[in-house]
This record gives sequence, C-alpha cells and structure tokens, in this order.
Amino acid sequence: MKPRVYFAACCVTLVLGTVAPCRAAPPVEGTTRLLEGQILRGRFEQERHLEGFQTPLKSSGTFLLVPGRGLVWRTEQPFAVTTVISPAGLMQEVHGRETMRMPTAKLPFMSKLYAMLSGTMTGDWSALASAFNVVRTPESNGWSLQLTPLNPDDPNLPIQSIRARGGKLLDQIELVKPHGDRDRLIFLNQKIETARPAAHEAALLEAANQR
Amino acid sequence: MIRGLSLVWVVIVALAGCYLLAHIHAGFPLRTDLLALLPREERDPVLQHVNETVTHNLSRRIVVLIGHRSRDAARAAACELMHDLLATGVLEPSGDALSGKRLKRIGQLYFPYRQGLITPADRTSLTANRGEEIAERAMAQVFGVGGIVNAQQLRTDPFLLLQAFMTDLPIPLSSLALDDGMLTVTDRGIVWVAVLANLTGEPFALETQERLVGIFERSAARLRSRYQGLKLKRLGAVFFAQQGAKRALTEASWLSSASILGSMALIIAVFRRFWPLLGNMLVVVVGIGVGLAASLWLFGDVHVAALLFGTSLIGMAVDYGLFYTTSIFDPAAKTPAERLQLTFPGMTLGLLTTLLGYGALMLAPFPGLRQIAVFSVIGLVAAFLTVLLWLPQLDRSRQQPPGGRLLTAAERTAGFWQANRWQPARAALLVLAALVAIVGLLLFRTDDDVRRLQALAPDLLRDQEEIRGLIGATAANQYLLIEAIDDETALRRGEALQPTLTRLVQNAAITSAQAPAAFVPSAERQAENRQLRLSALEEPHLARYLATLGLPQAEAEATVSDGPVLTLREAMGSDAVPFLRDLVIGPGLHVVALQGLLSAEAVRAAVAGMPGVRFVDPTADFSRLLGQYRIRAIVLTVVSALVMLLGLAWRYGLAGSAWVMLPAGVAVVLVPAFLAMLGQPYTFFHAMAQVILLAIGTDYSIFCAEGASSTRLLAVWLAAMTSLLSFGLLVFSRVPAVHGFGSAMLIGIIVSVALAPLANRARRRQRVA
Repeated sequence: MKPRVYFAACCVTLVLGTVAPCRAAPPVEGTTRLLEGQILRGRFEQERHLEGFQTPLKSSGTFLLVPGRGLVWRTEQPFAVTTVISPAGLMQEVHGRETMRMPTAKLPFMSKLYAMLSGTMTGDWSALASAFNVVRTPESNGWSLQLTPLNPDDPNLPIQSIRARGGKLLDQIELVKPHGDRDRLIFLNQKIETARPAAHEAALLEAANQR
Repeated sequence: MIRGLSLVWVVIVALAGCYLLAHIHAGFPLRTDLLALLPREERDPVLQHVNETVTHNLSRRIVVLIGHRSRDAARAAACELMHDLLATGVLEPSGDALSGKRLKRIGQLYFPYRQGLITPADRTSLTANRGEEIAERAMAQVFGVGGIVNAQQLRTDPFLLLQAFMTDLPIPLSSLALDDGMLTVTDRGIVWVAVLANLTGEPFALETQERLVGIFERSAARLRSRYQGLKLKRLGAVFFAQQGAKRALTEASWLSSASILGSMALIIAVFRRFWPLLGNMLVVVVGIGVGLAASLWLFGDVHVAALLFGTSLIGMAVDYGLFYTTSIFDPAAKTPAERLQLTFPGMTLGLLTTLLGYGALMLAPFPGLRQIAVFSVIGLVAAFLTVLLWLPQLDRSRQQPPGGRLLTAAERTAGFWQANRWQPARAALLVLAALVAIVGLLLFRTDDDVRRLQALAPDLLRDQEEIRGLIGATAANQYLLIEAIDDETALRRGEALQPTLTRLVQNAAITSAQAPAAFVPSAERQAENRQLRLSALEEPHLARYLATLGLPQAEAEATVSDGPVLTLREAMGSDAVPFLRDLVIGPGLHVVALQGLLSAEAVRAAVAGMPGVRFVDPTADFSRLLGQYRIRAIVLTVVSALVMLLGLAWRYGLAGSAWVMLPAGVAVVLVPAFLAMLGQPYTFFHAMAQVILLAIGTDYSIFCAEGASSTRLLAVWLAAMTSLLSFGLLVFSRVPAVHGFGSAMLIGIIVSVALAPLANRARRRQRVA
C-alpha cells in the first residue's frame, strides 16, 4: 500500500476529516439549536465498515454534548471506552486509564473536529459548507443531505461523501472514505436538557480540555 | 626630501580615496552582528563550530503573529504579509509547521520502517510485559467514536504503534494548531495566525535587514489600515539586529556630526582664522579616510561598532594637527620648519604611546575590536604623516599672539600645580582623590553579563514575550551537545539521555526537548524494538485481538526480525523533518534543542557526568569569557603602563618618567572608583577604555613635559576638548557597552588633562640633573 494514502487515511478517519475554511452558512431549516445552558444527551450506535473485514465493527453507548466544552462518548458494547472530543483535542480512556491524548496541535484536523461534530449534531453545517457541495432534499418527516467534496483530489480530504438524515436533530450520519471504508453513526433517544453535566462527566471534560 | 615624501603621501592618500569611493559606490559592506564583537572561543573548535551553527540556525528564524477578532481578516492579512515577505527574496517558508503536506511526508518517511519504531512510553509498557495496555488502546481506537483508524492501517500495523510514534514526535511550537492550512492559536477572542519563515541570507547583513524590515513595515502599515484592530507581533534576530544597527548608525552619524561641528567651532574660536581649521580638517579627513580604506581592504567589510568607536578617532586624529597649528602662537617658532621642530618630538612620542595602547586592543581576540584597533592605528598614523608632511608645506601663517579664555583657563590649571600658594589645596585634593579611590574601591563591582551590554529594543522584547505566551515556549539559546565517534553512537547516547529529558519535562525545567534520536532511533534500538514487538505484543496478544476485530490473521502483517533500518542520513535527506538538519551538526555531533528552558541549573546538573553529553549555554560562556578578558585588559593596562614608564625613562629618567605617567595613572585608577560611586558596574568595555585612556593621557603629559610654554598648554587643552567631543560624547549612546566606554573616557580625560601640567616637573628634574 502506498504510505501516502496510508497516512492520509489514518488522519482522516476522524469521523469527519478535515475541511476548508468556514464561510457562514445558514443552519438547516427546522433543526433545533441548543440554547445557553442546555445540553444534549442520547444513545448512539456506530457501524464501522472496514474493507476486507468479515463483519462491520459495531459499537454502541451513550453520548453527551455540552456546548463550548465538548462531547463525551461512552462506548459500552462490545468494549468499554470513553472518548472525549473537545476544542483542545481528543482523549480516550479505558477503565479510567488514559490511553490516548491527541491535542489539536499534534494533528491539524483535530482543531475542527469538535466544532464540526457539535455543530452538525444540532444542524449547523457551516463548518462543512465551504469544502463540500451540499444538496438538501426535504423528506416527509425531516430532511436529508448529501455532501460531496468541492475538490475531490485534495490529499488532506480523502472523503468521498457524507450522507446525513434528520428532523429536529441529526438522526444519522454516514461518512464514505476511499478504499471502501465507511462509518455510520445513528443517534437515538436524543433529549435536550437544561442541566449541568454530572460530576464525573464534568471531570472528564475538564481533563480533556487541559492542553 | 620632505617634498618627495609628501608627494608619495599624496599618491597613497589618493589611492586610498579612490578605493574608498569605489566601495561606497558599490554599496558599503557594513556588518552589524554583536557576536562579531564578542570573543572567539579559542580552546574548543568543536564547540565553536556547533555554537556558530546553532546560533546561525536560531537567528535565521522569523515568527510573525497576526491577530484579529475576525478569523478571516487574520488569515487574509497573514496571506498578504507572507506574500510580501517572500517577494523580498531573502526568506523561505519555514518547515517547522505541521502542514498536511508535511504530515504526508512524515508518513512516507516512517512507513517502511514502522516495525522498528516504538515510542519510549510503549517500550516501557512492553519491557514491563504490559502488552495488553497497548492492545486495549488499539481496541479503543477501533471501537471508540472518532478513533483514528482504517482497514489498511490495521493490516500493516495492527496495534497502531506507528501512529503513536508519529504523534509522539517532539515537534516544536505545539500551541499552534493548523487551521485549514494556517498555524493558528486563539486567545481571548483574538485569532492569531502565525507566519513562520527562515532567512535565506545572512541575518546580520545590513542589506538583508533593510530589505526585509522595510518591506515588513510597509506591509504591516498597509494591513493595519485595511483591517481595523489588526495586531502584529514579530520575533527574530533579524529584527533586533536591524534595530540595533539602525540605532548605532544614527548614533554614529549624530555623534560624529556633533564631534566635527564642535571641534570646528572650537578651532575657529581659538584661532579666529581659516587656515588652522582647514589644516585640521584635512588631517581628520585623511586620517579617517585612510583608516576606513585600510579596514575595508584588510577585513572586506566594516563593523558598525568599528564605525561608532571610530568616530572617536576624530578626536585623536585632530590632536596632532592641533599640536602643530597651536605652535603659530609660539614666539619661539616663526617658520613652519621651526614649528615642526618644536612639536615633532612630543607628537612622535605621543603617537608611539597611543599606538602601544591600540596595539593592546589588537591583541584581544575580538574580531570587532581588532577592526577598531586597525582602523584607529592606521588612521592615527595617517593623521600623523599628514601633519608631518603636508601641514608645514601648506602653512603660510605668521606668528600670532595667543589669547582667549581657553588659554587663561589652561594657564590657571598649570599655575595651580606650580604656585606655592596652592600647596594646601593640592594636599586637600590629594586627600580627596585618595578618599574617592577608597570609597570607590569599596563600592566596586563588576558585571560581565553580555545581555546587559546590548540595548535590545523594548518593543521587540515585548513582542517576544507575548509571542512566547501565545505559542508556548520557544527554542532556548542553550542546548545539549552530544559528541560521539559516529552517528549510531551519538543516537545511542541520545536514547540513554531520553529518561533524563523526560524527568526534566516532568520537573518543569524544560517544556520539551528535540533530540535526533527521538526522530530516528539507533539501529540497535530499532532491532530491539522489532524483537520487543514480536515477543511482548504479537506472540501473546495478536491472535485474540484480530479475532475480536474479525480480521483474518493471514491478512495482518507480522513483524519480521531483520527488516529495513531507518538511517539518520535518509531522514535528513527526506525533508520530512527539516529541523533534523539543524540538530545534526556533523557525524556524531548532535544537538538536543531545549524548548521553554526554565532552569538551566537543573539541566546542567541532570546531565553532569553523562559520557559525551554536555550542557552548552553560549550566553553564559560569552559572559564568562568577557569576564576573563576584562581581567586580561586590566593586566594589559598595567603592562602597557610599565612598558611606557621604561620607554619614557630613556628620555626623562626614571623619576621624570614617573611624573609623565602620573596624570594618566591617576586617571586610570580614579575612573573605576568614580564609576563605582555612580553605581555603574565595571565591565570589559570600561577596562578597554582604560587601555586607551592610558595612551591618551600620557600623550598630553608628554606634550607638557616637552616644554612649559602656554601655547603647549593650549594645544593640550584643545586636544583634550576635541577628545571630549568625540570619546566623551559616547556617554550619550544608548548601547550600554558604548555608554560605559564613553563615561570612562569622559572622566578619565578630564582627570588626565587637569593633571597634565604635573608632567612638566619631569623636564625640570631632567634639567636639574
């Protein structure tokens, strides 16, 4: 395998990869934006299709979005791992032991990951609008979006397409990468709460935001 | 014969003039680096070479931060500035930043050698037989949201160890993150975009500085007016050097103007005639012109400090002219030949003692000072020859009666030293001088810190601090040097050093360190890593791990124990890690760069006793060397004084010689005492001033010793006044080193000229004998 592709791919599997500069883009109509002091909770299911693997790698768990602070993903099945994505980067914990810390400075794409994820989950696609051609199709109970890169040969952006579906909130997002890999995330039981994160969650966010 | 010699001198001066004009026409080659003024490390050529390379690499770097509340404005301004700066042709974009392209190249470099590359932390886990931790981390990445993993990666590097290795590379400037191709850091609502570049030219060449800083300032002004609220911060040796050079040139030009105008006014006031002014100006112009031409011819360029110090030469070059022209007041000398006869012995002795003083400067191993010395010695000889060969030929003056207040003042000081009625006052003055010497001696302190000898622009220092605050620690001037017989041994030493560096980071003595071994492990270490991978990770954990993932074992690449080895040469040739070339100075000669150094002492202590590793602190070394040379300069002063004493004894007898040396001797002792009372610590530059002071002060004494006429006194006073107008004016310099030199000269000249008439006793004693 070409190392060039290897490394580019290695960098971009960060769910949403890298994007070019953001210009203002209007939020998708009909979606809910979080207000000050609100947090978003729910369950997720992830299917990671890796080319040549016998079955997709499935995982599931809960998530918490605290605007401005970060996203806490608690994968429960089949393997317990907590991932915190914050403005400072990405951190993973297994059984309370930090296994990885990827500060934004170490991997350029990390700097946008949080902004994109937290934005897209509440319908704000502006972080993606300047790098992708966005086609929006209204559906009976919501909308669907098809994103294709404006520059398909950009070595920093080896994403073939992004497909998303939602109503008031984002319900499902699928990322298609070169060589047949793709990730699909489904969001369930999403609830907007006006509350503070629990103490252990706050501690995780605190730890993740330390540079 | 005189006529013939003066014609030869006309030809030489004309040649020097043409040479100088040709150079000025071609662009004057000025050097501005302060390092050229600093002593050479003579004893250790390896360290000297490394120091020069490291300093050169550091001083080539430029960091500009452009901040704005609007991200787009900051980015657009940064693009424009980079474009303008690159258009100067003296810059190239720096390879320090981790762009997408750079990451790709890093991936290309390391991928073929992945099986031999493991982070130090992973090595620790594997050697402690905790391979399951690494397996867990890989599982977390595979199943966790946002995990950085793909199918090809899992096949070629199942436990994702290469990814960990690449993430762990100690790449500097870590607070900056790449935001869509631009290094960015956000602080309190302001988006700062970094422009990093390296100079392709010499940062201390005035032309490079002027070109770059000129364009930078024009571009910055335009951007500031286009984007309201735009902030710009800059960091780089070239900015400091440009400001320093600009200041030195400005100072040199106003000081020399003040010196020339002052001397002209003085001459006109005393002589009230045009000819003496013309004659003296001729002497000065020839002296400085020939001195400058000779420096250019010998050194190829002129240091800006030589020019600044050289300004003071005006004051000395004019002395000989003044000694001659003042003799038109002397009733004993009616013709030019008689005037020359009257002044020649004093002038010659004066020149010889002055040359002795400057000759001492020439022995100092400071290239810049050597240039000053050559400039001065040749300039003074030229001035002397002009007085000797030209002035009598051009002299059409008749003898004139002396007059004026200066003469009265000069006669009064002479009277003070001779009249009996001033005996008690003289005794009181002696006591006072002794008191000053004692009190000064008690308050005396020295300071050799080279940083306090330069005047760094405060706005640039502020920018430097703010940039450090925003992007995190920047590279320190200090570094660790690893020496070994070859690269492999040096890499092994670097690996042995790694735990110490980690401890220093944990203890906050440094924020990070970049050792070549962190980028390219030794061949030995790479072979060990392969073994460790096989025995501690793949044998116990691979099968179960692959089963969980659902990847057939046949598809996952297994480690081979004798795979390819990444070499330092290949890594340096690949351009993936450009700063590696700054760290590897030569075969077996590696530099470990230190970022955010907080405790030099902790680092020095931590590496003490490690074979082939030493902590290098160039600034401290320079300061220490300055201290050594300060002491040598003092020894030099004493030795010169003794040589002069013996030399003068040949003409005046030992006791007479002591009288001649007395005024300058007292000045040399009282100067540090006075300065100490003023709170000025004694530096190498004060010591150098004393060397020159001894020569000048003795000059005055000799001229007084050669005769007691009031015209001689007047000549000495005029000479002292012009010296004050040149050397003394240096006290107004904002460069602490030059200011110190100037203040020592100011005090010393006043003391020497006030005491000069005492030297007359030498003649009297000689006559009595």
